[in-house]
Amino acid sequence: MGLRDILTGRHEVKGPAPDHLFAITTAYITLSAEHQIEPAGTAAIVFQALATSEFESTLKEMEEVVTATGGESATKVGTEEDNYGYRWMVLRNPEGTPNVEDLAVGINAVSSSIETAGHGERLLCAVFAFTDARGRRIYFIYNYKRGTWYPFVPDPAQPQQRISERELQIKAQMSGEMPIEPELERWFPLWGIPI
Amino acid sequence: MAKRKTSFGRDTGLQARMLLTMFLLGLVYVVFVGVLFAAGAGAGIIVIFAVGMLLLQLFASDKIAMSTMGVKEVSPLEEPELHGIIERLCVQADIPKPRVCVMETSMPNAFAMGRSQKSTTVCATRGILNLLSPAELEGVMAHEITHVVNRDVMVMTLASFFATLASLIMQFAFFFGGGYGDQEEEQDVMIVIVVSVVVYALSFVLLRALSRYREFAADRGSAVLTGRPSALASALLKISGTMDSVPTQDLRVAEGMSAFFIIPARAKKSLMNVFSDHPPLEQRLAALERLESQLQGAA
Repeated sequence: MGLRDILTGRHEVKGPAPDHLFAITTAYITLSAEHQIEPAGTAAIVFQALATSEFESTLKEMEEVVTATGGESATKVGTEEDNYGYRWMVLRNPEGTPNVEDLAVGINAVSSSIETAGHGERLLCAVFAFTDARGRRIYFIYNYKRGTWYPFVPDPAQPQQRISERELQIKAQMSGEMPIEPELERWFPLWGIPI
Repeated sequence: MAKRKTSFGRDTGLQARMLLTMFLLGLVYVVFVGVLFAAGAGAGIIVIFAVGMLLLQLFASDKIAMSTMGVKEVSPLEEPELHGIIERLCVQADIPKPRVCVMETSMPNAFAMGRSQKSTTVCATRGILNLLSPAELEGVMAHEITHVVNRDVMVMTLASFFATLASLIMQFAFFFGGGYGDQEEEQDVMIVIVVSVVVYALSFVLLRALSRYREFAADRGSAVLTGRPSALASALLKISGTMDSVPTQDLRVAEGMSAFFIIPARAKKSLMNVFSDHPPLEQRLAALERLESQLQGAA
């Protein structure tokens, strides 16, 4: 943000950063092979849904496209609205056959159709769900504004608590494999992830 | 920068007015500094004093304000919803998370403090948390976060530096008026005082105008950040209490003409507008309505 923007008080919302979404499609192999963190077969993308008919029809088209392309692997698509008014589009592989590539392709189809419609700045995050050897849920969150990934491990025992130790372990294990967000204060939690 | 389609148009008019105001303010200040220099030494001490005040304002004002107003920092456990809203807005605006505070008062209000993105506090009162729906609260917090992103505290503090200086000189003149033996020197002092009064008056009006433009810019920033201009408009209505004048009773249930409330016609207080640091509600609502129709017409 330059001096001119400060003087004029003008701040436009950032569009998506250069895309590193597909880093997950190579990282999950390492996660599974070396760290016993297995994909759960679900992923989601969260964005601000504009209350315009144009945006709603974009979403509808998009859902059809994702359902069509996910046809052979039978990936299911669903939408949910959360308490904060954000829209989640949830992709589910059929039970027992998690396929991270399919999920990433599906998420990418959603984000690129929102971008093509000119609303790229509405994209917030993509989330991929994993399970570790102890059965704990581990999320990998992709921040569209920054083009970086970070792990998020909510504590199943306590609400609104995260297990930072586990997250930092994963950061150390995976920082060579995928672009991990370097600033820890940007590891924003997402409570109530519907996957 | 490559042109890309956006949901909202540009606000060239607002920016032009803002820059013009800053230019006029600068002009007033240049004249003022010229007179101070011409008057010579006596002013030097006041300038040093004013710089000290400025630094104090920039670095300590948020702490002073927090300790005097009974503002308390809250953890995510205490206020999960407020934290959740702010965290998502921070992702959206791509800024680090500010400190989140709550002020225990029933008056609905919110504000942001701090000179830079790294040392920012956003604060909401208990009243506003109870009054607004999540979407409305998000609009209000996005307005405050836009103040942070636009560095409004910094801009306004710097812009008001010479106005502060002029008011200091006026106060000095009031307390230590006269007592300068030499006739010529006394004349110089009189000129400085008169100029200070004029500078103070002009910069007061200009600063208020600048502040109003920054408010409009923050409203716009909030709408752009959340994509929901009408949520902020509804929040502003609720906060100002005028929501009561929008009838909630079903037209068919109401008897006869009693359903048609007479909305009191407000006299246009154009002179009061000049002295106000927030734009009138009607104008803010109109600006938000324009943004909403830009959004709806973006198809």
